[in-house]
Amino acid sequence: MKTVVLLSDARNPVSGRAQLSRLEAQAIGLAAELDESPQGLHVGPGEEGVSAGLGHGLCGLDVIEAPEGEDPLPALAAFLATSLKSDEPPALVLCGRRGEGGLDTGLVPYLLAEALGLPILADAVALRPGEASDTLVVDQAMAKGARRRVTIRLPAIVTVHPLAPPPLPFAFGRMRRGEIRRHAADVSEVPVDVDAGERPHRARPKLMRTAGTASGGANLHVGPDPEEAARLILAYLEDNGIRRYGQG
Amino acid sequence: MSRPRRDPRAERDNRTVESRGRTRLDFGRRETLPVSGRMRRDPWREWAASLAGETDGERKRYDRSQRQMNRAEAVRFARARETLDATDISPGQPALRVIDEPAFLVFAVVETAGGRLSRFDRQVLGAARLLADAGDGGGAVVAVAPESVEGLGEAGADRLLHLPRAATQRGRTAALKAAVDRLAPRHVLLAEEGDGADCARRLSVALGEPLFANVEHLTARQAVRAIRNRGAEIGLAPPRLMTLGEDRAKPYEAVPCEAREIEGGPATAPADPAILSVEIVPGDPAKLSLSETDFVVSAGNGVSDFAAFRDLAAAMKGTPGASRVVCDAGLMPRTAQVGASGTVLAADCYLALGISGAPQHLQGIAGCEHVIAVNTDLHAAMIERAGLAIVQDAQLVMPALLKLLQERET
Ligand SMILES: Cc1cc2nc3c(=O)[nH]c(=O)nc-3n(C[C@H](O)[C@H](O)[C@H](O)COP(=O)(O)OP(=O)(O)OC[C@H]3O[C@@H](n4cnc5c(N)ncnc54)[C@H](O)[C@@H]3O)c2cc1C
Ligand SMILES: Nc1ncnc2c1ncn2[C@@H]1O[C@H](COP(=O)(O)O)[C@@H](O)[C@H]1O
Repeated sequence: MKTVVLLSDARNPVSGRAQLSRLEAQAIGLAAELDESPQGLHVGPGEEGVSAGLGHGLCGLDVIEAPEGEDPLPALAAFLATSLKSDEPPALVLCGRRGEGGLDTGLVPYLLAEALGLPILADAVALRPGEASDTLVVDQAMAKGARRRVTIRLPAIVTVHPLAPPPLPFAFGRMRRGEIRRHAADVSEVPVDVDAGERPHRARPKLMRTAGTASGGANLHVGPDPEEAARLILAYLEDNGIRRYGQG
Repeated sequence: MSRPRRDPRAERDNRTVESRGRTRLDFGRRETLPVSGRMRRDPWREWAASLAGETDGERKRYDRSQRQMNRAEAVRFARARETLDATDISPGQPALRVIDEPAFLVFAVVETAGGRLSRFDRQVLGAARLLADAGDGGGAVVAVAPESVEGLGEAGADRLLHLPRAATQRGRTAALKAAVDRLAPRHVLLAEEGDGADCARRLSVALGEPLFANVEHLTARQAVRAIRNRGAEIGLAPPRLMTLGEDRAKPYEAVPCEAREIEGGPATAPADPAILSVEIVPGDPAKLSLSETDFVVSAGNGVSDFAAFRDLAAAMKGTPGASRVVCDAGLMPRTAQVGASGTVLAADCYLALGISGAPQHLQGIAGCEHVIAVNTDLHAAMIERAGLAIVQDAQLVMPALLKLLQERET
């Protein structure tokens, strides 16, 4: 199953240097289980950060050279559209769920799906070929450790969740051997979408989680019967929606 | 300046009261609100509310759990100090807040997983309430939920828009888009988590509108989000389509709203032709790591029967945890240790059996919203921290819980 992993222009938050996003490294790990020669695709000023993807398991990398900060979407869509029409089209396109270094909205995969007319599925933690050919079984991460197992018809775009297995170990030799193919971008002249009010990030504390609604002075029970205590505990859990017992 | 002039003498006369044969000044009585209109802090009341229930004349005990004073607790002022006139915190408030003709609408899309509002759902509703009351106010919060659940009004929803649970995210987005087109809300808020985040992005593409994702700070005037891998941020006037980060907005806590149901969207959502089958695989709490699970059942030095404890954790569908003493003794694996030198939990609920609540242990559960403590010692720190505290032998409670759970299963 031919798989393409989209590698974004991730930046270190402190130094601002280009690096490989961990999420996309995890995506490479998932791709390597389906395809013995997964390919990478990157639109950006160069391969400085993303070439580490070759060391994590990619076999080849397409770099479309575009000025920094330019909207990568037209170049991505054009490149993928031609490769989808070629005689060996990619069956699966893997992305991160949010970028790490640009505007970080996580919209690129969705806009790409719209442009290419492909179905999209979010938050994959495990991938497996389906029983029928041209299908893929995707495990989506949900709250409380639950998974949603979706069978999807290929080709498709899938975004990867941080709970996916950790990336494959980095191998320098693999990175040196990997093939990097450079392409020039069509001059798209899309105006760079810089938001006016950009300023240094200020860390804001999250809300504290304090004791729940059911707590209060009356909730202390001194020396109840063990049966009564058990009943109180289960009632508290069910009232606060933590667990429901006796319903499968 | 047109400020009314104060007359200190008249104010003094006003406050003089006859008590035990002497004239005294009563500073507890407040006739007028301060000019700013803001409610004044009353340290006396706060002090009185922090007294634990069993305070008697001789010995004062304080409740140091730092819970916010709620309205029910405020009733205790009267008992703590008779001379203080114990008015309700906000006197004269109506019991229900009704917005009949909203000036505009704010959508809050909630998941209501398991048929109830989660903490995150409440935060999304609270943020929507903030935007609806912004400026001149008069906006109405429309909770967009797959089912009608309890407590929507208390969480700040004026209206309820019923969108049936769709089989696929694509269908759900189509139904939501139809509702947005029909009702033209000023803002649409979703949670930046799981299906909410996915739905927000699909909606953004379908509407052709930008998405302001993962808002970290939201006020009536601006919404702030991080960009460049948290190296920079942008703040704008709250845009139309936003997703809210977890624990970033306060839930609504004032007078309940009415949560009146309004005409639903289209009954049938189109299916996604590319999706062939969907199946939910429930998570196994025993295999989850402590940092990922939502419910931890934990044992301390007060537990001696560890076989029963493991059975109990499995039967309660919780992830087993332990205090350091237990892990040091080799009774539980080191990976199960909760606390400063173990795992700091992100769970919603923590059941502590025979754990004293040492500071290093409490650090690990600082983020837990619900804590249940079973301990033989009434004065243990864990009992003080707990939302439900049971002073009883854990060795007796464990078999009783197991028995009750078995009865429920059958
Ligand atoms: C640097 C440092 C780091 C540490 N880090 C951690 C950490 O990460 N995690 C951690 O847990 N600890 C940590 N500790 C240890 C911590 O200070 C406490 O010693 C430990 O948490 C106490 O564990 P405990 O509550 O299980 O035991 P105890 O303090 O012995 O408490 C047992 C409790 O059980 C009750 N009890 C007894 N019998 C029964 C019964 N039959 N039924 C019900 N209740 C009963 C008792 O009343 C008592 O409250 C750390 C200490 C240091 C110095
Ligand atoms: N310049 C780019 N080149 C290739 N893939 C990209 C690029 N920008 C974003 N992506 C992909 O889209 C995902 C989401 O990015 P974003 O929408 O920028 O948050 C990333 O994890 C990448 O997989």
